[in-house]
Amino acid sequence: MISCHPTQEMLEKFANGELPATLAAAVSIHAEMCSECSAQIASYTEQQAEAGFNDVSSHDASSTNVNDEDAFADIDIDDMIAAITATDEIDIALEDKEKTITVKGKEYVLPRALTNMTMSNWSSIGKLARSRVELGEGEIRASLLQIQPGGSVPEHTHKGFELTLLLDGSFEDDMGVYGPGDFIVLDGKHTHNPVSHEGCLCYTVSNDAQHFTQGINKLLNPFGSFIY
Amino acid sequence: MGQTVTSSLQSSAKTPKTIAMKENTEHQALANWLQAVANERSKAAFTHLFKFFAPKIQRIAASKYGNETLASEVVQETMSNIWRKAHLFNPDKGSPTTWVYTVMRNVSFDLLRKIKTKKEDNLSDDFWPLVESCEADDADSQFEDHLASKEVMRCIDTLPEEQKCVVKGFYFMEMSQEQLAQHLGIPLGTVKSRLRLALAKLKQQIGGEK
Repeated sequence: MISCHPTQEMLEKFANGELPATLAAAVSIHAEMCSECSAQIASYTEQQAEAGFNDVSSHDASSTNVNDEDAFADIDIDDMIAAITATDEIDIALEDKEKTITVKGKEYVLPRALTNMTMSNWSSIGKLARSRVELGEGEIRASLLQIQPGGSVPEHTHKGFELTLLLDGSFEDDMGVYGPGDFIVLDGKHTHNPVSHEGCLCYTVSNDAQHFTQGINKLLNPFGSFIY
Repeated sequence: MGQTVTSSLQSSAKTPKTIAMKENTEHQALANWLQAVANERSKAAFTHLFKFFAPKIQRIAASKYGNETLASEVVQETMSNIWRKAHLFNPDKGSPTTWVYTVMRNVSFDLLRKIKTKKEDNLSDDFWPLVESCEADDADSQFEDHLASKEVMRCIDTLPEEQKCVVKGFYFMEMSQEQLAQHLGIPLGTVKSRLRLALAKLKQQIGGEK
């Protein structure tokens, strides 16, 4: 049972195509696993389409919409149509071909949203292994993080925000136990210490390195940027 | 959009009901055109779609991105995707306007990403697969849909083998009718008629719920 979901605002922005790719991927993966959120997204999409294309009452009533045709007058419609229909090719939606990855001997099937992304080689310290997902969005960075059974991420806070989407396995922190599909967003106010007894694979997005808070873990601070 | 009933001249004639009716007939026409593009590669149908959608897409994109050139690019790309992907539109899964909106949304996402990050990875179809993206209108029907699709699967299994093949290839593996013809080594006309027969039979079995 999934207990953590994206906010309505996020779902709506996702439906409108307004999230950065790092976050859009996360919402897409979550929606694939969560029928409620996926229905919510469908409904936002419907509303947007409605507002843009079906708003019959606004056609003649509003000054901004009167000139649909005028706004388009300087483009040669016939030329454009001819150019588009000149080719008879159609796009074949490729059959969903599953892509699997193997991390430290464990095999995972990647969610569809991640199948065409470039990922760095895996690097690891202790029971943690990470591969960066190269999406080129500057300070917003995405990674796959594997925690091996019994592994944990030292207690830390976040300078920015951190999104953890659990893909496989489970982990827990002082706020609860999480399973596949859980969409956990933390920001600078939270401190946590995730532990995974059975091991897990997560897709994470953060906009700043984590900041470790406890004793000897301070030594780990230089690694903050390693983990996320 | 806040202007709905305020400008009174026209609104007196338009009760919500007549608007809904107008939408319905409009949707029917749009859906027919999309299918004519998919099945017959009809340029006439495409021209109708173009005249209906292109100005609206131009307006939506221009107001969203504040840039007419980018908006024209969105129009160009969206319309050519409609030409090339019309066969992915499934009238049972959602309205034609929602489908076109999702095509436009995907095109815009990839275009903007290309501009912002210089990446041409076209991720949109992975995030929002066009085949599934226009599912239920509201949360309630999600579960029904799920049950309904099981029901459909059961019905498909009762079809004669040769029709089953075509239906599965076309709707689940998203092969085009041409590809199926080639793949199965039968004429295109036969693929079309098998598909028609199968759909008629399915409609009969599932009944007129929708």
